[in-house]
Amino acid sequence: MRLALHRIRGSWLVGVAFLIPGMLLSPVITWAQTVPIAERLLLCGGCHNSDGNSAIPENPNLSGLDAEYIHRQLQDFRNGTRKSPAMSGIIPLVDEKEFEALAAFFSKQKPKPGGAVDAKLAAQGKEIYDEGIVGSAVPACSGCHNDDGSGTEKYPRIASQHSAYVIQQLMNFKSGERANDVRAVMRAVAKRMNEKEIRAVAEYVVTLKGAQE
Amino acid sequence: MKQAVAVFMILQLLPWQTASADMADAVKSTKGYGSKGYVWGKLLPEQVAVLKLNGDAVRGKEAFRGCRGCHRPDAAGVTDGTYPRLTGQHASVVIKQVTEVRAGVRVNPKMDPFAAEHAVSTQEIADIAVFLASAETTRENGKGDGDYQAEGKALYEKGRCSDCHGRRGEGNENKAYPAIAAQHYGYLKREMDYIQKGVRGNSHPDMVKAIKHYTHRDIEAMADYLSRMSDYRQSGAERNAK
Ligand code: HEC
Ligand code: HEC
Ligand code: HEC
Ligand code: HEC
Repeated sequence: MRLALHRIRGSWLVGVAFLIPGMLLSPVITWAQTVPIAERLLLCGGCHNSDGNSAIPENPNLSGLDAEYIHRQLQDFRNGTRKSPAMSGIIPLVDEKEFEALAAFFSKQKPKPGGAVDAKLAAQGKEIYDEGIVGSAVPACSGCHNDDGSGTEKYPRIASQHSAYVIQQLMNFKSGERANDVRAVMRAVAKRMNEKEIRAVAEYVVTLKGAQE
Repeated sequence: MKQAVAVFMILQLLPWQTASADMADAVKSTKGYGSKGYVWGKLLPEQVAVLKLNGDAVRGKEAFRGCRGCHRPDAAGVTDGTYPRLTGQHASVVIKQVTEVRAGVRVNPKMDPFAAEHAVSTQEIADIAVFLASAETTRENGKGDGDYQAEGKALYEKGRCSDCHGRRGEGNENKAYPAIAAQHYGYLKREMDYIQKGVRGNSHPDMVKAIKHYTHRDIEAMADYLSRMSDYRQSGAERNAK
């Protein structure tokens, strides 16, 4: 009956295959070298795509995320407060001085709409997203992330994010493996949810469109 | 075979309910009412700090974002009373409640992580309080069935509840007595019950005395009556009950 969530963990390796050409193209491979953004994108793009709309569901879309949020996540990967087998291998290759430009670049990319979903599951997820779960005191996601998932400076955009990534993050918040949320609110939210509820809400998040221009 | 079907049906239902791990609200505070040295209304250090700040409704509306998931975007709560209506509540009352939840005087495990210091700053409490006091209510509150209004009114008056909460349920801003008119029925009932039993940590000892001898049915009747009052701002009441 247990759903194999750990299965997801291994699959970032798929992304590493894309990474190799990126590394070969770098003239000299040294530890944490400052390189121009176009070149750097070959590295990040291997997993997140060069426009930040990743093709691999376990790797998050970075397009349209708040620049400060991206910047903080990169710092957290660097100082180890956010752990990820994939990113912790990558981050030492990048000079900290590049974080700002990378964050600015991805925040300006246009997000793509999410893929197909299981409509029944997404409908259950919508209820959680919009109303929360009163019985177990799960606050509505929309309260912080907005009805359309567009987020704000304080609360990241989650619209059209891959469901596999959302599930993984919620499970990580729940277990405390991801504990870099300074306000600790996401841990409190996820701890009150079970895996079935997490899967449903993640399915709905895929369908969110974010702010409409 | 039959058994398998039954188990399957249970599994279908269960996962939506299992997370309802009963977070009992009625946890008695070890620092509040009934504990040694408890004095109602004695200012906590954070309350002294908040009261020195100027709140700003625009900033407060933004800071309230972290509260909307439960109290709803319009701050009118949930009609079954799980989450109280906060619109029009006096700034002093909002400040008192939030800071006392933070200090563990009023125990509220559901809200606790979202109102803690790392989630909301002291300045933001001042801002939220100003925002809520002026927030309008556009939605109907949860009401009792209306059968016991007259009885409720008589009990409310007999108990001298209006000395503190006012004849129109307007409360008292200066004294931090909550406005209770047009609050959700379920919430009114629950709080009166908690205060009667002394489990609400910041209970006023005189209210505990006032409500002590009421029956459960009396409490329901008063909740019915109060839930059917109009918002004190519409009934023309002042912010400070005479
Ligand atoms: C090997 C694949 C891989 C590469 C290359 C890679 N990433 Fe990641 N990245 C991931 C995965 C997987 C995650 C999810 C981490 C987790 O599970 O917490 C992630 C997460 C992130 C996040 C957090 C996103 C969020 O929504 O919180 C940011 C920001 C990020 N990566 C930026 C970058 C940048 C910038 C580069 C290039 C320097 C890069 N990544 C290269 C795989 C990769
Ligand atoms: C009280 C406000 C609040 C509520 C309610 C809330 N979140 Fe969050 N959420 C946050 C904050 C703050 C972060 C950023 C954490 C950080 O800084 O690392 C976040 C981060 C996330 C992330 C990680 C985003 C990323 O790119 O890695 C996901 C996914 C998420 N939330 C989903 C949800 C879902 C689903 C719900 C509803 C069940 C929800 N949130 C409810 C405040 C909230
Ligand atoms: C997870 C749900 C949840 C969140 C998020 C939440 N609250 Fe609450 N709040 C509650 C519950 C439940 C009660 C009622 C507790 C009780 O019955 O004793 C309550 C009560 C209150 C009260 C007392 C009202 C009264 O009449 O005494 C105030 C004030 C309040 N909340 C303000 C806030 C503020 C401000 C925030 C955001 C910083 C917030 N709440 C976030 C669940 C929540
Ligand atoms: C001495 C003044 C006083 C008297 C008399 C009094 N109350 Fe209260 N009441 C309070 C205070 C103060 C609170 C809030 C506790 C706190 O945090 O300080 C309260 C809380 C309440 C609440 C919960 C409101 C909320 O928003 O959480 C209800 C309902 C209520 N009282 C009803 C009554 C009724 C009915 C009576 C008469 C039987 C009564 N009160 C008598 C002072 C009083």
